[in-house]
Order: sequence, then structure tokens, then C-alpha cells
Amino acid sequence: MPPTPPIVERPQRWDAAFDPAMTDADVDRLLAIAPFSRMSPDNFPKRTPLREILRHDTSIRRYRKGEIIVRQGDYGTSAFLILNGATRVVLKPDLPLSLLGRQAPGKKGIFRTLAQLWSPLRPPESFSRARLRQDRGVGARENENNEVRVFLQDLPRVLDKHRTEEMTAGDVFGEIAALSRMPRTSTIFGSSDTAELLEIRWQGLRDLMRSDDQLRQHINRVYRERALASYLRATPLFRHLTKEQLAQVAEQIEFATYGDYDWSGEYKRLAQAGSVRPEKEPVIVQEGDYPNGVVLVRAGFARVSRKFGSGERTLNYIGAGQFFGLNEIAHNFQKPQQPVDSQYTLRAIGYTHLLIVPTRVMEQSVLPSLPRNELPPPISPAKETFEVLPGADPDSARERIGAETLEFLTTNRFFNGTATMVIDLDRCTRCDDCVRACASTHDNNPRFLRHGPSSGRMMIANACMHCADPVCMIGCPTGAIHRESFAGQVVINPVTCIGCKACANNCPYDAIRMVDIRDERGEFMLGEDLKPISKATKCDLCVENHGGPACQRACPHGALERMNLNDLDALTDWMNR
Amino acid sequence: MKRFHRQFLLGSFLLLLASTGAVMAHRRWSRALPDYGYLTGWVLLGAIILLAVYNARKKLPFLPLGSSESWLQIHIYAGFFTVVLFLIHLNFRVPTGWFEGTLAWLYLLVTGSGVAGLILSRVLPRRLATRGGEVIYERIPALRHSLRQEAEALALGGEMKSPAIAEFYARQLSGFLAGPGNFWPHLLESRRPLNAIMTELEEFRRYLNESERATLEKLRDIVRRKDGLDYHHALQRTLKLWLFVHLPLTYSLMMFSLLHVVLVFAFSAGTR
Repeated sequence: MPPTPPIVERPQRWDAAFDPAMTDADVDRLLAIAPFSRMSPDNFPKRTPLREILRHDTSIRRYRKGEIIVRQGDYGTSAFLILNGATRVVLKPDLPLSLLGRQAPGKKGIFRTLAQLWSPLRPPESFSRARLRQDRGVGARENENNEVRVFLQDLPRVLDKHRTEEMTAGDVFGEIAALSRMPRTSTIFGSSDTAELLEIRWQGLRDLMRSDDQLRQHINRVYRERALASYLRATPLFRHLTKEQLAQVAEQIEFATYGDYDWSGEYKRLAQAGSVRPEKEPVIVQEGDYPNGVVLVRAGFARVSRKFGSGERTLNYIGAGQFFGLNEIAHNFQKPQQPVDSQYTLRAIGYTHLLIVPTRVMEQSVLPSLPRNELPPPISPAKETFEVLPGADPDSARERIGAETLEFLTTNRFFNGTATMVIDLDRCTRCDDCVRACASTHDNNPRFLRHGPSSGRMMIANACMHCADPVCMIGCPTGAIHRESFAGQVVINPVTCIGCKACANNCPYDAIRMVDIRDERGEFMLGEDLKPISKATKCDLCVENHGGPACQRACPHGALERMNLNDLDALTDWMNR
Repeated sequence: MKRFHRQFLLGSFLLLLASTGAVMAHRRWSRALPDYGYLTGWVLLGAIILLAVYNARKKLPFLPLGSSESWLQIHIYAGFFTVVLFLIHLNFRVPTGWFEGTLAWLYLLVTGSGVAGLILSRVLPRRLATRGGEVIYERIPALRHSLRQEAEALALGGEMKSPAIAEFYARQLSGFLAGPGNFWPHLLESRRPLNAIMTELEEFRRYLNESERATLEKLRDIVRRKDGLDYHHALQRTLKLWLFVHLPLTYSLMMFSLLHVVLVFAFSAGTR
């Protein structure tokens, strides 16, 4: 008799509530408050009723005066509705970096650089107590739920020095950052003695939007006003449109999100089990379907694939700023008598936030505005067949790099890296000069491992890739992990890192390590509870050093390069150099 | 044109140009200049110091001193150029006397080890990449140890213990799994030692029943993995060790060169 397979309960949407402490009384109270009071429970599907969304996807949080709720530049997964009390949003310019828990960007001075020549060898991961001294303008404390809250010590001074605006009960904030996976645009802190807020995680917000027209229209309007106009203006496809035309296009653009915002945990689990399968990723556009519109990737990544044998072959991946489906729509626009369907399948990888310009809008406004030489040429049937064959179109980056490598980069989600450490094993002599250079530059502490997954002669070393979609930055309670500049390197401020491991657990590539720190004598530093003090460490791309990453400059054979893997052409050129 | 090809052509062209220039200058001025031997000696010493400075650059990765790759290119082509300078300094004759002879031999050994290192660093990485099973050199002993434990558990322990396999393991495999092996065959890309073990495993198979054969298959897989570790050990060790030949020889050459300068100036009164 064959062994009986173990049968377990299939995981469901609400197996893990956002806040297990939410009670029926809390939900009843919320249902009596706007905007939930005016929502009709009948509009919600049976699988996701309003009551259950509020119970499982929300949490009531209380912030004391001066406690920071969201921080400018952070990535967040939730939006907030003020239930009671007041908060204040800091208008531009924002609070100084030290109050946000970050380190000031800048290079080492010439004397500090030269001093490394004669500085004595320090114990590993050691800090002086002076270096770890925090900005006295902020403090940290734990609330009754053991959550760390950072607060502004001298609130009157902050209010005096910075322009702020009050937000009161009924106001919503953080919804755009939560849905579009963009960094928070402002810092908000509690300004009344106690501010009571409803935190709604993005899944709940998405479901509320789906079933409530008013909320959807409100968020879409805010999105269009705050984020869309400037984005469209910067997109080359729309550059020939007049201001009025652009406004009309913006009005008709649809928004969509696919995948899982917190994809890193699930991905790590699947990767460890070796069961990452492209066929399981959510379909955005199916090959053979009518092309409904041009899909613009606003955040996250998507895989372009085509049927091959019994599966799908990855042909490309696209990230923020890139679009999909223009060729088919342009073809149908130019040759309406010979229409074509979608030539490829587009699937969300991880989390993908999209803008969709409907075909009608493309045909009426966008395509007529494009000069003839900028219109993609019609799709020829011969090329259509030719492209699915391996080795076709030898000049394209994806053909030069090979289908296996492309599959490798996509399955492992390495395209996320803007400064991925790529090693050419044909040239690497395994001398470890890169590791030594990294250690020398970071007080004798190497910040990466010269080892990692490989495909052919390409190895992706275990080093922080400074992701385009930095999931590590979600959930840092103190703002210690942050971008050095907008879209710049992801760095950790050791001064404000509290060793909570949130970033290390979130990183899908295991590129962040927790270390127990020591003082200058090599003794482990202990907290009041006599447990070692931990800090998160990772590659900072030698952001303080002149000349760029030491690992890359130290390689004698040009075998190591920090690369943006979303630029396949650059990778292909480098591998075929 | 590919970057590496362009780099090679440019370096070779500059080397040819510099060498031709140096030989022509030698022909023209070797008899005309009174202190010609001093001049070529200082130029050669300067070139050798330039080559040696590369090692100092490697020790200072935090200073913006240009990429190590550029330095190595200069090191290689300047190294080849010193051969021409060396011959010019010797006036294209065989050195005489034990000191001159030792100095010349040291120079030849440093140059030879450098060329060998260049060839090794171009050939061995490609072979390692082709073989696959990438592993960090320092981790090889631990991995080897765990393979040995895995094999011992299969052959010597467990409920399914087979006396035949245990005897075969003790006789044929335990030595192979005990430490690094087959250094030279791996370096010379010979698969003879592996084939020999595989043949023995195959011949031994006919004495086993079904479950023992399954154990033998697992042992065969372990042998393959151990062979892969040995391959990486041999080639990575060679890549690391050649520098331990090149560097001490370089330091010796520098010492002898400085001594040579001192001796030349100490005993040159009569020849000036």
C-alpha cells in the first residue's frame, strides 16, 4: 500500500491576523465610525466581508505626544486612519536626518582616510561608546505591547523650527505608499496627548477599495493628484502629449496591484524548498488574450514569458519605468485588418504595482501623438515564430546572455539588485583580494561572502544588492536602515539600529547579518538585561569611501563588478567583454 | 572588439613600441654615454620598484589609488618590458661572477614565476568554472570531513550494515576520503585516479544484493563529490601558492639589487 500523503489544512487569507488583539467590540466600534459606517456590507464578497477585513487586517494603535508614526523615506505596508486625537505632518523641509534615525551622507575626509594606514587593528565589530551616542533630540521607549516607539524629545522646539500641519480624526494618511510601494513622502508624529489611529495593512486596504466605490475613488483621486501627473510627465511614451491630453490620459489610467506585498518571507520558504515556480506567479496579461492596454510597471517586477513545451520560458523581466504590450497595440493601430493578440504572458514577481493605459486611450490619444519613427514596427508573423526559438535574434541582450542565465536571474529574483555583486568565475582566481579589501575598508569586518548561487560562469555573491524594491526597509522601527539618498544605496545607521532583526528576516537574499558588538577592548557590549547588544550589518557599497566599492576596485582580474541587473544590456556586455 | 582583446592589443603595442625604442636607444648611446651602465641600471631598478609597488597598492584598498585591474595590467606589461631593460643592462651578455649570476638567476626566477602566475590565473579559473561545484577553499576540510562522516555512516553504521561494504570501505575508500588527494592528476586534468576507484566500485557491485547496491550507489556519489572537492583543492591551492613563490623571490631580488647598487658604487672608482 502506498504511503498516505500528509494532509494539512490549506493556509487561508486570514490565518495570521494583523493584530490578534482585535475584539468584536473594537470591530463594532469601527463599524460605527466613518468611513466604515457608510460602507454597505452587501457590497463586500462573502469571502472577504467588511467585518472580517476590519477584524483581521487592522489594528488600533495609540501614539503619545511626539511619537513618530511614519518617517519620510521609509517603506510601509499600511495606511492610517485617525480615530481620536491629532497628529502633525512635517512639511518640506523634513526633520534633520539625525532625528529620523539616519546617518548623514558624506565621504570620509582625507585625514580620516589616511589615518587607516596607521590605525591599530580593532577587535571585530567594535564600536566606541562615543560613536554609539544617539542624537539627544530623539528617544526610544517601549509601549505596553513591547513595541519600540521613537519620540521627539523637544517637541516645542521641533514645532518652532519646522513647518507642520495638523491632521485630526477622520483623516487618512500613508495609503499611497502602502499601495504603490513607494517611500513615505513625509514624517508624521502624534501631537495630542494620545492619538488613536487605525492601522490598515495593504491587503485590507486593497479589499476595502475593491468593494467600496467611494474609498476607491478617493484614493485614486489622491493618487492621481499626488503621484501620477509627475510620473507621467517623466515617461517618454507620453512626452508628445499636451498638458490637457496628459490630464485626460491620467484621468483614465487604471491602477492594479498583483502579488504579495510581503513576498520575501514566502519566497524564502519556497526557495529553501526549491519550489519557486514561474507558473504559480499571478498572471497580469495572458499570452493569446486581447491586449487590453499598455502596462506600465510603477513598482516591483514582472516576468515576460512565452509558452514553450509544457511550460513557459522566461524571455525578459521588467521593472519600474518599463512597459509591456505596446507592440501589440501599436500593431493593431497600424494594421487594424490584421490584429494580433498578446504575444507574451506577463506575470507579477513578488509584488507589482501597475498603471494600465487602456487600449482605447492609447489609440485615441497616445499613439497618434507619437512620431512615425517612434511607433514600434508591426509584428511580422515570421519574427513571431522566430523569436520563440533558442538562439534567435542574436543581437538582443537576452539571446546573448542565454535562456538559462535569464531563468536563473529571474527565478532567484536577482533583477532586484541595483548594485549586485556579479563574479565572472572564468576570471576569478579565488584570491579573496575583494574580501580583504572589504574588511580593510570596514575596520577589519568583511561585509559579504564571496560565495553564492551560480549559473554557468556567473556567480552572484552573497552581498547586499541595494535592491530597487528594498523589502528589508519595511518595518524598521527606528529608521536605522534607509537609503543614503533618493534611490541611492541602502545603508544601516549602527547608532540607531536596535538589533530587532526585522531587516535581516525580511531580506530575501540573506544579505544582512546580525552581529554582537564589542567595545574597543574587545569585550561584548551588554544591555541592561545583560544580553549582548546586536546590530544589523551589511555591505554599504563603501558609501563613505572615495573611489567606489573597494571589492570591485580590488579585483586584479576584473572578475567582480557591482551591477544593476535590471539592465540586461550592461550585464551582457560585461559578461562578453 | 571585446574589451579584453582591446586591452591586450593596446598593451602589446605599447610594449613593442617601448622595447623597440629601448633597443634603438641602446644601439645609439651605449658607446656614446660614459655612464651608460649606471643609466640602464637605475632605469631597471626603477622599473622593478614600480612592479613591487603593486603589492603595496593591494594593501591599501581604502585609498583611491585606481583599480587593481589597471595596476595589474601595468605590472604585467612593465614586467615584460623589464626583460628588455635587463638584457640591455647586461649588454646582451651572460653575467659573470657568483653575485651577478645570483642576481640574474633571481631576476629570471621572479620573471618566470610571474609569467607562470599569469598563465595559471588565466587557465585555472576557467577550468574550475567548467568543473562546477564552486566551493570556498577554507571550507574544503569541513566539507571533506562531513563527506567522510556520511560515507562512514553508510558503510560502517546503521541497521543495514553490510560486512562486504564495510570491508570494501576500509580497504578502498577510507584512505581516499581521509584527506586531500590526487593533487598532480587534478592539476594535469587527469581523471585516471577517479576512473580507477569507479572501476573498483563497479567490479565490487556484482557481490552485492539489491539493498547493498543502493548503498554502493550512495557511496559512488560521495566519491564523485570528494573528487570534486579534491579538484577544487588542487587548483585553488596552486592559485594561492604561486604567489608564495613569486613574492619571496621578489623581496630577495630587491635586497640583492640594493646590495648590487651599494657594491657598484663602493667599487666603481676605478671604472668611472
